[in-house]
Amino acid sequence: MLSNSSYERDRCITGIRGLDEILRGGIPYGSATLVAGTCGSGKTTLGMEFLMNGAHAGEACAHFSATEPSVKLLENIRQYSFFDMGTVDQGLINVFDMDVLFSWLGLDKSTFNLDDIDAMVKAITDIVNTIGVTRLVIDSVTSLCYKVPNEQLIRDFLFKLGKSLSTLGCTTLLIAEITSVGGTSHRSAFGVEEAIADGIIVLGDVERMGHLLRYLQVVKMRGTDHSRAKYALELTRSGVMLTPMLKWGVSQ
Amino acid sequence: MIEFDLGIAEQLTQVTTTSSVQVRVGTSNSDLVIASILQPLMQNFGMGGVYITASQTAPNVIEMMNTIGVDISPIHFIDCVSSGILGGTQNPYTNIGYIDSPIMLESMMLRTLHHLENSQNQQNFVILDSVNALSIYNEQRILAEYLHTFINTCKNRQVLSLIVNVPDQTPAGVLSNMDLYCSDLIDRGQVVIS
Repeated sequence: MLSNSSYERDRCITGIRGLDEILRGGIPYGSATLVAGTCGSGKTTLGMEFLMNGAHAGEACAHFSATEPSVKLLENIRQYSFFDMGTVDQGLINVFDMDVLFSWLGLDKSTFNLDDIDAMVKAITDIVNTIGVTRLVIDSVTSLCYKVPNEQLIRDFLFKLGKSLSTLGCTTLLIAEITSVGGTSHRSAFGVEEAIADGIIVLGDVERMGHLLRYLQVVKMRGTDHSRAKYALELTRSGVMLTPMLKWGVSQ
Repeated sequence: MIEFDLGIAEQLTQVTTTSSVQVRVGTSNSDLVIASILQPLMQNFGMGGVYITASQTAPNVIEMMNTIGVDISPIHFIDCVSSGILGGTQNPYTNIGYIDSPIMLESMMLRTLHHLENSQNQQNFVILDSVNALSIYNEQRILAEYLHTFINTCKNRQVLSLIVNVPDQTPAGVLSNMDLYCSDLIDRGQVVIS
């Protein structure tokens, strides 16, 4: 039996260059990680690359899109060399439109109650369970939470979702939209998402002499040691690339 | 017929892929010195590379090298100048990537790594042209930090790094840092008599 000091949780290797190094090997399996970022910070690309790398390793992956139609999402992501339409055709990458899912569930309404939330969580976990999904991205959880009327219900929704997915051994990225990360401690739109998540990865911009440089920072990740420094993020044709941000270039 | 500086080719036979070479040029001989570096690296040693240009636009460098007689089509350019010129990115060259500004040092690093990862050549070099141009936009502390990271990143990946500078137009602190970090020196800087 391993002693406590040598015990390490199994990791979900993201395959995103630099990120696994920051996380000392990857995201602990079954974790629900909030990927909170401003618009244009690379959240969707990071999520799709995470799924695509899983699919290339033979894992079943799912993407629930609440912000744009799946057709548009796939068109936008085709520019990257990591994207392989074959993984979609083979059923390794499964993309779902949340609007379609809501229609199936009879949830065509602007505000959800507790029963609606339970139905949504059950639908997502049923899909994950049926397909045997091990990597999941929900883009974005913020859009879903706008339909939930109060903080307590948002907390219930995210807690139930995270718990169900964790039980199924599914490593999940919950994409969250934030308006600004500078000078504020909030890393989510509603302030409760960050408390529920096992991990928080913040994406944002550092302004340097009128130019915006993308950055990534792992603020929290349960079950692993990790760097908490800011890393410069570049979206190249091969996908996300990270390098430590120059210390004299980070705003105080 | 332009004659290359054969002393440079001779000196380059002594460096390895983990070397970092400080290249001191003058205000009037930089094109010839750079051509005398690129020619043997590509033709004699079969190396591929990345050319980061902050002193002039990449099309200018390409056309200048073509005039001198160096085919640099296998090199990928990272151009930090053209985006600052309206219409500067409209040209026929497909081996140029653009950075919005020379202050985006991390972007330069990541784009460089991206092209090195995709290089078909077993051995590669990165030429940074030039430190004095970067010092126009970046303060000394961040520039010194960038050079330190740049040189060590190249060493770590066994990529030859060549850092061009005009010594009398480079901040003294940055120049002394390069003396410290670089393993080799090609000195073709002109003597300035004030």
